[in-house]
Amino acid sequence: MMLATLGGKTVDDVTNMGRFSRFIWQSVVACCQSCLSTKTYPLIWTQMNIIGVRSVPVIMITGAFVGMTLAVQAYDQLAGMGLEEHLGVLINISVVKELGPVLAAVMLAGRIGGALTAELGTMKVTEQLDAVKSMGTDPVLHLVAPRILACMLLTPFLIIYADFMGVMGGFFVSVIQLGINGSAYWNFSASGVELWDVGIGVIKGFFFGAAIASLSCYKGFTCKEGAHGVGQACTEAFVASFISILAIDFALVIIFKAIYSTFWPLKSLV
Amino acid sequence: MYDSENDDVIIVENLTKKFGENLVLDDVSLRIEEGKTTVVIGPSGCGKTVLVKHFIVLLRPTEGQVFFKNQRIDNLSEKHLNSIRTHYGFLFQEGALFDSFSVAENIMFPILQHYKNVDRKQIEEIVKTKLAMVGLDGFQNFYPANLSGGQKKRVALARAIALNPEIILYDEPTTGLDPIRSDIINEIVLKLQRELGVTTVVVTHDMKSAYKIADRIIMLHNGKIIADGDADHIRNHPHSVVQQFIHGQVGEDELAVLRASGSILQAQFLPRDFEK
Repeated sequence: MMLATLGGKTVDDVTNMGRFSRFIWQSVVACCQSCLSTKTYPLIWTQMNIIGVRSVPVIMITGAFVGMTLAVQAYDQLAGMGLEEHLGVLINISVVKELGPVLAAVMLAGRIGGALTAELGTMKVTEQLDAVKSMGTDPVLHLVAPRILACMLLTPFLIIYADFMGVMGGFFVSVIQLGINGSAYWNFSASGVELWDVGIGVIKGFFFGAAIASLSCYKGFTCKEGAHGVGQACTEAFVASFISILAIDFALVIIFKAIYSTFWPLKSLV
Repeated sequence: MYDSENDDVIIVENLTKKFGENLVLDDVSLRIEEGKTTVVIGPSGCGKTVLVKHFIVLLRPTEGQVFFKNQRIDNLSEKHLNSIRTHYGFLFQEGALFDSFSVAENIMFPILQHYKNVDRKQIEEIVKTKLAMVGLDGFQNFYPANLSGGQKKRVALARAIALNPEIILYDEPTTGLDPIRSDIINEIVLKLQRELGVTTVVVTHDMKSAYKIADRIIMLHNGKIIADGDADHIRNHPHSVVQQFIHGQVGEDELAVLRASGSILQAQFLPRDFEK
């Protein structure tokens, strides 16, 4: 009995995995197609506006709070050792490398992922997806590709906003509130944070954006009947996006570290 | 496989559809004649909609084959199907209008998807004609949320005929409408069939509408075809299930179930037990 349940579950999981892979493959093909034909550009523009432009305020608020909180938390420890001017390196490197990108992506997963799943899920439940198909249009090309492209292309830019506000927030608390010497703060920051650090944070954005959009669209497309189905799909989409953001982040950190130590073997030792 | 002179546009052979363990269609074979109105009747949940969705391959058969103009279509890729599907118009049960688009944009959608280099003026002209056909010209800038149920279905129908289809499939066009609105839909179905010469398939459980529009009526029950013929044939059909359905009577078995569970149990509390 237990064996049957276990077997059934495994079969379900493998089937789901297969469906998801096929969906991803279709989406990749559709994304390439819509990049090549100018007809789909207006759709991408609309999605960019919804996904990117309207997310800027929340992303900036997220970034600012991350920077400010870090400054308040780390100040006491560093001040105890008389190293408070090093606060700049600590805050800025944490913000641009990890916290900015990851928290911005989590914020986006909540804001965009939920909306995408709910929108596509409702379309599925009210047969609008079937209607698109019945008129001879590929729903993946028409609905999924613009969303994935918009999310993938704009997440890096949103991360730049989050980074910027994180740096400003850290500066505000450290220099203006806690009275650390401003020029020392910036000098230490400049020596500690490299373009590479900012760069990998931004590059992560591509992967996070693609993961959020494709998971959310998939969950919307495979949504079950009724209001309960849509709600459940949204929850699953957010949880799946969140976990995949953390997993992708972990994988990318390892990869970037390996690349860094291959090209600049000495620097990582210093 | 079939000689080219036969005028059956859609042929379904030994179609079986299962959702998991649930058998919905059981070895159904059927031919739809060109230019005729075929009505599929049957109780809710007997697989009517599932059958019609196979005609346009929105669902794929578990077993069996579907042909459109002698070409097998149930095994085609989605990409090939997209060009086949432009020969069809499908009216969904709830209309399935895109609710973020206005009425005009809804009707423009298939046109913009399939015609290249048409200018705005031409498209607006097409939208106007299609809306006039369903009697709703002037509603171009309305949004689906502001339309009544009957108007939504008519707009959806205008969208379904936007690409000048050869076959129109209607999924319960009169369900949820008052008798007058239902009759308007019936008249539109007849009008489109007369003026455009399209092949029509209507899924319904509204017998009044079925008698009015049908050249041929097919009754599905438990996934099988139990009656097939013109209106008179169905009216005088000997099968008891058919007679019960067309007269809207509950069978003895179902009545027995209702009676058994209809009494109030002695141990059950009622609101009055809590009143002082």
